Amino acid sequence: MPANSKHLSGPVQRAAKISAGFLGGYFVTNSLFMTLSLWLDQASTMVTLIFGGFIVWAGLMVCAFLFKNGWWACLTYLLVAGVFSLIFYMHQPTI
Amino acid sequence: MHTVSGLVISVALFVIFFAGSLSFFRDDIIAWERDKSVAHGQQMNIDYDALLDTLEARYGELYGRGINIRQSHQERNVMISLDPSRDSLASDRQLTRVFTYLDTETYAEETYFSSYTLGEFLYRLHFFAQIPYPYGYFLSGFVAFFFLFAIITGVVVHWQKIVSNFYVFRPWAKLKTVWTDAHTALGLIGLPFQFVFAVSGAVLIIGTSVMLAPASSLIYDNDSGRMYRELMDQPEPADFLQSKLNNPVSLNPLIQKAKAFWGDANLSRVLIENYGDENMRVILEGRPKTNQSFAGLGRVVFDGKGNQSTATKSSSLNYKVGADQTIRRLHFGDFGGYGLRVVYFAFGIISCFVILSGVLIWVEARDKKSNAVWKRKSNQWIGHIFMAISLTMYPITAMTFSMVKLFRDDSIATPHVWIYKVYFISWLLLSALFAIKQDNFFTTRYTLLMGSILGFLVPIVNGLVSGNWLWRTFNEPQLQIFVVDAFWLLTPLITLMIVLKMKKPSKNPARKWTT
Repeated sequence: MPANSKHLSGPVQRAAKISAGFLGGYFVTNSLFMTLSLWLDQASTMVTLIFGGFIVWAGLMVCAFLFKNGWWACLTYLLVAGVFSLIFYMHQPTI
Repeated sequence: MHTVSGLVISVALFVIFFAGSLSFFRDDIIAWERDKSVAHGQQMNIDYDALLDTLEARYGELYGRGINIRQSHQERNVMISLDPSRDSLASDRQLTRVFTYLDTETYAEETYFSSYTLGEFLYRLHFFAQIPYPYGYFLSGFVAFFFLFAIITGVVVHWQKIVSNFYVFRPWAKLKTVWTDAHTALGLIGLPFQFVFAVSGAVLIIGTSVMLAPASSLIYDNDSGRMYRELMDQPEPADFLQSKLNNPVSLNPLIQKAKAFWGDANLSRVLIENYGDENMRVILEGRPKTNQSFAGLGRVVFDGKGNQSTATKSSSLNYKVGADQTIRRLHFGDFGGYGLRVVYFAFGIISCFVILSGVLIWVEARDKKSNAVWKRKSNQWIGHIFMAISLTMYPITAMTFSMVKLFRDDSIATPHVWIYKVYFISWLLLSALFAIKQDNFFTTRYTLLMGSILGFLVPIVNGLVSGNWLWRTFNEPQLQIFVVDAFWLLTPLITLMIVLKMKKPSKNPARKWTT
């Protein structure tokens, strides 16, 4: 499909959305599954991460483009990943 | 930058799908090349006691070693790995790790490289293993992942028009609409297939390295052995006691016992821990036949004296094993015989067509009068280069099949380098020629024609070299050879018909830059 220019945002916005989706999406996916593995069966959750993770990650990459402002996408993804990571670290016996 | 990266991904994706489609016949191609066909269901049929004696004669005493015997492909070679002996008095010879391929009939050994074949080459090409590790793996893995992203965005963008567009086919309208309609119609038919391959491809090639990177350090403390044991549902290793057994058990009766217990199942792996030690353990794994069950894994475990400790049915399944086996089955298409493989192959080639038409749409859409002339020219160039690289794969592949039959012999010290040279150099030259010609119609027509002619030569060359003519190999033990020859009879026939039906398109007026 020839892309219609009115649906496209500027290069800075686009870079923000791509990095939010690619990097942020990865952090959200991985921290989500790592946190879930605290309560669910650990090995099974990790096996699910191997294949389900790619689908969730790709979905999050698409969702990053639904934000009007790319910086909000970055911030939201980092916050969500941060919350999951925090929960995971709180449950580590070593600290 | 965007166009270049888009081109790289499209070319990579085309190569992956083309080489991957051929890889459904990997085992057949290898059997055809070596002229050593194996009847279906004959895997792991070996005299295991003779095998261990052979290994002992060649690699020294096996005491304290771990021995792993597998045969993941339908071929005559089994894969054997010997872990270093855990004996504290072991000699240097016993401490070397061994990885070898052994012919189950002649007991001749081969290394990975000496047994390298065109089948292996094409299989490896579909995840760019020829590019040094890990770059090739990461490239193909991320291409699969971005392909998944492209599929999802494609569905989102087209969602409202998906059904109506599917029925629209306007071959007599502008050139662009032909590609657009073909792209949407075939893209929709192939969508579930492509989704499965995007996900399973990413899983198999970068699943553990990318997705489990945080988990392997944070959960498993970088102990990859423990991680794989837990994720693949492997038993905990047995301790080594450092005291020799008088007479380690003979393997063949154990295998007979396990097979009798499983009933109709295939032995898939023989694992021996602490060979010859008081705490020796023999683990036999069996999987159900594919016409019985889609997935399953049974284990029968014996100690070094031949006492059976645990046994599970070959159809037993848990989530971890099931998930892993399902991904592999779906990706390799090995659960339904040749009929299924042909369907998988057809869908793979349809995907190649969807990628080609996607690039052509992209070029046509940017061929507008409002764009600068140099931009339109460079876009056209990109399209020509892409078409040349992609489509020349067909004649080059057909040619390499004949080349390995005609000129490959044991005097070639490094067969993999030889195959690289034959394939990559001719591919580069031919695609450069077609790219310089700058005519997509010409490229399509002559690559298909060359591919057809070279393809027809494959069964003829094989008949002349080996005497295995197409009409002689249609029998159970030689079916693999027949399949490859038949493939190179039917595919060129289809492409030749396409060439004969092709008509030179009338010049698109929008293409005139120079007046």
